[in-house]
Amino acid sequence: MPAEPNANAGYLVAAYVVTAVFLAGYALILWRRAARDSRE
Amino acid sequence: MTDALVFPARRIVRRGLVLIVLGLLGLVLVYVLALRFTPTERFQGLPQKIFYVHVPAAWCALLAFSLVGIASILYLWLRDPRLDLFAESAAEVGLVFSVVMLTTGPLWGKPVWNTWWTWDARLTFTLILFFLFVGYRALRGAIQDPGERARFSAVVGILGLVLVPFVHLTVYLFRTLHPQPIVLKPSAPSLPWEMLRTLLSSLGVFTVLLLGFLLTRYGLAAEARLAGGDDAR
Repeated sequence: MPAEPNANAGYLVAAYVVTAVFLAGYALILWRRAARDSRE
Repeated sequence: MTDALVFPARRIVRRGLVLIVLGLLGLVLVYVLALRFTPTERFQGLPQKIFYVHVPAAWCALLAFSLVGIASILYLWLRDPRLDLFAESAAEVGLVFSVVMLTTGPLWGKPVWNTWWTWDARLTFTLILFFLFVGYRALRGAIQDPGERARFSAVVGILGLVLVPFVHLTVYLFRTLHPQPIVLKPSAPSLPWEMLRTLLSSLGVFTVLLLGFLLTRYGLAAEARLAGGDDAR
């Protein structure tokens, strides 16, 4: 049976948010390490 | 330590950071492409669009773990410490993409399979691979001597490389809930063009991010090693 439009949209939003948070978070960790190392 | 050696490491870090920024901007474009310009699958509905982040994350995780294994084989052969640093960096980056894969997978599974997790072959072996590389990181942290650490962790890295093709083939070897590959298979991709375009764009963006993370992490580890420290932890 075809899915109803917009059904279960929360799972999609959660997956996209989790992906962005993990990837941007790791990018931030690396950037902070690089900034700290260039100061030393 | 000489400036001549430190500067190339810094250049690698800078190039890596540029790639990361490009990759993150690309991720925004992929989200727009997936949400606005890609049709919604008829039976799964909106959760099917998780595919555009889950598959590229899996691709990057398996690619990074393969690179760990290849660098480990080369390290045991050539004994070049740069290969050990590269393997260490690829393992960390692979774990980041694995976390994305292992969280987006259940978020897709719940509305489609009606369960967050099932112990079928693909999911179980993926989890084993993840824990193998968590162990790889723990092992590196536990051994003080750099030569011994590099040798022991290279063996674990090679074991991970052996598991990677097995993880890919589990959907053919076992009865599993996980769908079979629809792009990485001998015949042509079985996706409408609009969906294939979004998937390929996302694979490209995630690969740029992988390269950016790898270069930056490797450059930082090389800088730390040259400065007399152990690595960039």
